[in-house]
Amino acid sequence: MLARQMRRLISGLTWTAVGILGAAGFGILALRRGETVSAAWLLVAGVSSYFIAYRFYSRFIALRVFALDARRATPAERLTNGRDYVPTNKWVLFGHHFAAIAGAGPLIGPTLAAQFGYLPGTLWLIAGVILGGAVQDFTILFASLRRDGKSLGQMAKEEVNSVAGLAAMVAILAIMIILLAVLALVVVNALKASPWGLFTIAATIPIALLMGWWMKALRPGRVLEASAIGVALLLLALVAGRWVSQDPTWSRWFTWTGPNLAWAVIVYGFAASALPVWLLLTPRDYLSTFLKIGTVLFLAVAILILLPPMRMPALTRFVDGTGPVFAGKVFPFAFITIACGAISGFHSLIASGTTPKMLMREPDARLIGYGGMLMESFVGLMAMIAASTLDPAVYFAMNVPASTLGPDAASAARKIAEWGFTLQPGTMEALARQMGEATLLSRTGGAPSLAVGMAAIMGGVISGPGLALWYHFAIMFEALFILTTVDAGTRVGRFMLQELGGHVWKPMGRTSWYPSIILTSALVVAGWGYFLYQGVVDPLGGINSLWPLFGIANQLLAAVALCVGTTILIKMGRARFAWVTLLPLAWLASATLTAGWQKVFAGDPRLGFLAHARSLAGSTNPSTARMIFNDRLDAALALAFMAVVLVVIAASAREWWLVVSQRKAPIVHEAPFVETAY
Amino acid sequence: MQGRLLLAREGLTRVLRVLRQVVGAPDYERYLEHHARVHAGTPPLARREFYAEFVSWRFGSGATRCC
Repeated sequence: MLARQMRRLISGLTWTAVGILGAAGFGILALRRGETVSAAWLLVAGVSSYFIAYRFYSRFIALRVFALDARRATPAERLTNGRDYVPTNKWVLFGHHFAAIAGAGPLIGPTLAAQFGYLPGTLWLIAGVILGGAVQDFTILFASLRRDGKSLGQMAKEEVNSVAGLAAMVAILAIMIILLAVLALVVVNALKASPWGLFTIAATIPIALLMGWWMKALRPGRVLEASAIGVALLLLALVAGRWVSQDPTWSRWFTWTGPNLAWAVIVYGFAASALPVWLLLTPRDYLSTFLKIGTVLFLAVAILILLPPMRMPALTRFVDGTGPVFAGKVFPFAFITIACGAISGFHSLIASGTTPKMLMREPDARLIGYGGMLMESFVGLMAMIAASTLDPAVYFAMNVPASTLGPDAASAARKIAEWGFTLQPGTMEALARQMGEATLLSRTGGAPSLAVGMAAIMGGVISGPGLALWYHFAIMFEALFILTTVDAGTRVGRFMLQELGGHVWKPMGRTSWYPSIILTSALVVAGWGYFLYQGVVDPLGGINSLWPLFGIANQLLAAVALCVGTTILIKMGRARFAWVTLLPLAWLASATLTAGWQKVFAGDPRLGFLAHARSLAGSTNPSTARMIFNDRLDAALALAFMAVVLVVIAASAREWWLVVSQRKAPIVHEAPFVETAY
Repeated sequence: MQGRLLLAREGLTRVLRVLRQVVGAPDYERYLEHHARVHAGTPPLARREFYAEFVSWRFGSGATRCC
């Protein structure tokens, strides 16, 4: 009895201490002005918040809201088949789920949002994940777990209605197209005129082919063996890249323009979608997973060792909407620029995909669903730290398009001085030399500036390889898993199109029929390829229009997921807890619909698509006509996204009202209860 | 000495098994165990067929990878 009270006292004191520590972190982040703040405070604020949220809020959701049942057998146990339904240790599954949800998104978004200063993005990463992102992932994982691992689209159809189901499917396809375009644009911008980077990434293709052949024919199924060889060859290619960049002939071969690179990525995406998966897609997936887990762990350790000072101010003047990296005020644009890391609708596809089929016990969903997303938010914090450790003048010199900065370092320095930062003469040239690049001015997209930050952090811990090697390692790391998302996403899009096509004409739905494969792959690639190419030739840099569109699309998918989650909670008789999902839904819907509305109708041509089109009207230049067309297309797309989500919200709200007012019986389509044997 | 070697070997096997599960790689030995337990009496797939089937299941419709 006494021992128990003692334990409770110690636990209470510990959590109070964690709370005080976190509050101190936030206080220092928010209040200290005019001097650099150590990244330690950002980590302290974030990590204490994560622990408290996990200990208390996720426990409340697990026990009271979902009432997770340790006696209930999971799909992995009931349907076990040694292949996809496999009961898996929860820590192993945590790693697996994390590797599936985390990619370039939580790295790029915070880097771009750093233009507002580190504070808005940091607060959103922390508050957004605790109340929104982790709740969404946990809810969808729980819902799918109770339904034998059904997908989000199926659950929307069965639990809400068929309109919501169709809307969800259209939303997923549209998001995929924009996501692939913007991620491919990040890669093109990072590899443009960079022979070292391009050589390394190009080398991943023959390496993947070798691995594919190894695992298929030479040593069937030996994935770890092939991956070890692949990683070794990749590091060799990274080192050889320096030599390529210094050799006049070779460097000419690997110096490509943006449009040519865009075509190369388009051809690659098509090939990866139409070729057998074992050849290219499978080996690249393993290669990038190993690299991803290894690099994220190393970066975390390096940041903890160095605790670098953050040179970006807490807030910049650009919160007023005049930001040169992307247009728009801090509300709503910080909240759509950072999607992954705070809340990402895309995760609902994974939480209703492979993960629910692998949970050994139902209560494990708390660690995997809620905890996994906290981990992604932590990656977002690391990206924010990496961006904020850069000299702000360098950050803006790298991330602002050439149309604003002008042609050279002198014009860039003048422009940046107007914003109150000083770019010392020679800084950018010296930095480019250090990183082994021709230039680092206006390298938009976020990846290069993130790579400079990562190189400084990693090189600060292990200085042997030199900054240039670390920079190109970071670029390779980002480009590799972005391209993995591009090939996997194109294939997912192709299958969705084939399914839709099958309703129109039966043979289209046959997933192994070559004419159908070629046609649907080409359609998907043409979809994102169009936006990619327009982004590459856009004088404003492309990121300015495409990243907000991606953010809006991703957050709207999250709204769809939260609608489905709320419906399920209400139908389970937990309407009194529906605020758990309604709260983030309300915030997300208002931020995202405001952002969408402003992107379409704002009068400022830098912000509004239509205003930008109007500002160009009257010009006879053919490229202007193309820009006007693209502005209108982007506006139509944003409106379509908003319409789809409003349809889902309306359809769901109708269901909620029908159930709550007892006009409709609250029936959920859960798989029947079976007692676990564990 | 031999006991320690055996222990190290077992440890390595376990580490590799965890690694396989984290990256989502096929585990033929695990499949054989499952097969012997559930479908005893029928011949299991050979390593090559098992891998081909695993790949088409896991990656056939495009692996789910987020951004």
